[in-house]
Amino acid sequence: MATDSNAPTDKAPAQTRFIEVSRIEAGFFPFAMISPAVILILLVVGFPLLYSLYVSFTPYELLKPNSLNFTTARALRNYQKLLNDEVFWRSLWNTIVFLAVTVNLSYALSMALSQLLARVTAGQSLLRTLLMVPMMFAPILVGMQFRWFFNANVGLVNNFLISVGLIQEQGQIAWLVDVPLGMISIMIASIWMNIPVLTIILLAGTLSLPAETFEAAEVDGASGWQKFRFITFPLLAPFSYIALTIMSLDIARAFDIVRIMTDGGPARRTEMLWTYITRLAIEDTKFGLGSAMSWITVSLSVLFTLYFFRQLVKARIVR
Amino acid sequence: MLRKLCLIVLALALISVFAVSAQDEPQYAGLDQDLSGITIKMANIGGGQYEAMYESISIFEEATGATVEIVALLDGFSMDQKLKVDFATGAADYDVAWDHTSFVAQYTPFLLPLQDYFSDDELAPFSPAILDAATIDGNLYLIPRHADISPIHYRADLYSDEAIAAAYMDATGEALTPPTNLEQIDRQARFFVENGHSTLGYTLAGKEEALTGRFYEMHFASGGSLFDENYEPTFNDEIGVAVAELLAGWYADGIIPSDTTSLLWDGVAQYFCNNDVAIKLEWYGWYAYFQDADSCAVAGNFGLARGFTGLSIGGDAVRPSGWAGAHAFSVPATAPNPEAGVQLIKFLASERVAYEEAALGFLPTRGDVWDRVIADASGAENPLDRERLELARIQVGEDFKTPPLIAEWIPFSNIFYPHLQAVILGDVSAQDGLDAAAAETREMMADAGYYD
Repeated sequence: MATDSNAPTDKAPAQTRFIEVSRIEAGFFPFAMISPAVILILLVVGFPLLYSLYVSFTPYELLKPNSLNFTTARALRNYQKLLNDEVFWRSLWNTIVFLAVTVNLSYALSMALSQLLARVTAGQSLLRTLLMVPMMFAPILVGMQFRWFFNANVGLVNNFLISVGLIQEQGQIAWLVDVPLGMISIMIASIWMNIPVLTIILLAGTLSLPAETFEAAEVDGASGWQKFRFITFPLLAPFSYIALTIMSLDIARAFDIVRIMTDGGPARRTEMLWTYITRLAIEDTKFGLGSAMSWITVSLSVLFTLYFFRQLVKARIVR
Repeated sequence: MLRKLCLIVLALALISVFAVSAQDEPQYAGLDQDLSGITIKMANIGGGQYEAMYESISIFEEATGATVEIVALLDGFSMDQKLKVDFATGAADYDVAWDHTSFVAQYTPFLLPLQDYFSDDELAPFSPAILDAATIDGNLYLIPRHADISPIHYRADLYSDEAIAAAYMDATGEALTPPTNLEQIDRQARFFVENGHSTLGYTLAGKEEALTGRFYEMHFASGGSLFDENYEPTFNDEIGVAVAELLAGWYADGIIPSDTTSLLWDGVAQYFCNNDVAIKLEWYGWYAYFQDADSCAVAGNFGLARGFTGLSIGGDAVRPSGWAGAHAFSVPATAPNPEAGVQLIKFLASERVAYEEAALGFLPTRGDVWDRVIADASGAENPLDRERLELARIQVGEDFKTPPLIAEWIPFSNIFYPHLQAVILGDVSAQDGLDAAAAETREMMADAGYYD
């Protein structure tokens, strides 16, 4: 109908032109307004991304400038090399295990903490403030702190175990070396760092839930577990997916922790995609290979995030 | 008249005395050019004792009229990263850069050869072994600053106890003296641990280039070589396997710490500092730390001996260990004022500045400075102070050995050390682990264009 009302007539040609110009301007104006931001983002984000994609198809090494040279014959060499690289697959598997365990355990513990906090009637703000403390530490400091905790020689954990008589001085546990203790130590550090932000999101969600639903459930004689299982947990689904999505994107911050605590070792027992990329690209200066691996990692991350977004949308529709 | 003559003779005598004593003082160099108006930029290693040297730069500025601007003060590995990025992007706009014998091979396309800027007389005081390590394809890229190498450190109380010595004689049939070769170290380390004299028999850094270097050293001392003349990997030969098996055996039997594969230099030093280790190879640079009674239980209770010779499997090729390195100065090829940069290097590497730095505990790279610091240590309260320097001079002069001077040293190390860790931890056999490392190394070297 808008087309009809805007149709040019012989009676008012000037007004029609004005309306047409306005329509064009109205169509163009918003794009003009956002174009600086779009151009900036393209320059700052788009160009480096595309350039790194290009680099991933070359044998580029930082100290060999002539190696930044694309040839069709070896364009896929880096990707082929990685697909045949046992260390790559091992680091991918370690990363998946680390993500799965860390994300799920962080979520479960945060959910429990948020439910406990929601029931606190006095001093909740103090507890919330205390809960934020781990967020104040940079991941690199968290890594250093937990490396000291788990140090076999002078670490807090072994010294505690010796003092309570659980282990002998000669039988110190090599937390950062043994399988699976190395991976578990890193996971503990990462979970410690993740819990505050997840708990705050879930606590906010819990406090926003309608009280009437719970009152009705209580009238029907629902137990505490039943209220959590059938009311709180489903209603928190959007908050849960937001928290998990943020965490899955943010989990790469664990790189600093892994780097400081084990640096992927020993014998690649805790090697993850981030540490392997750093070794290839930064230490060995093989930027081409490192870029190819980064692109595989980014693609997997995007797929992972897309899955969470789809679940989030579903959860909102159900609600 | 006679009185005048006497005064002249006296004045001449005084002048000559002052002249002789002035000559006896260590001298600066590089102060003979007018560099007024020139700003010399320098990117150098920083932190701790390293920066004390830079305080003398004001003397250089005053004498030459140049201004020296320090554009970076970073630790060694951060400097390595900075240099790589700056060289790759053409941003190395400084005239003097920190360098190291272990890293220089990867930078050579971006450095200025220095042999034409230094006369033979100027280079003569430097250790020939270190200058060899600073020369690649006939070009001198580095002027050495100070060096480091490792002697054997041993707990003195274990070797002075007559009961322990007698028990050792009974057990092995040999006298208990500080070890000179790897087999002796193995026997003694096991004896000390098995009989409860020491918590640990030996320690070594167990990851990254530190582990690769320690393996290289043991392999080299046993007559082996990491690569042959065509850069084919040879570390998986029977000598390499014997060395790897020795390390794996030590780990399995608790001779070395259970967290060996997590240890770098500070962690290894901590074990010795705690008096928990009988024998170890350690850099001279840790001496002051170990002698600090406030920090270390081992202070005053350790001795030093020349680096070990290797396993007898190497036969006549067995030789003293000597993995060594030297901090140094270089000039980037893109330096805006290379001649002025060279003058600054001549000053910083001069006898006087090197002597002042050696007084802080660093091992010098110049013969004339060695003479002075050893003479200075003659009056030291602890005789080990002088013994240490005399031993260090022998090792730096005779045993100084860098890793292969190839740009792929760090990439090679990153391939090698995880495999050796797997061997040490018992995940794979020594032969399988080293064979896997050799196959990966060969692929990396082929990619780098080493083979036809």
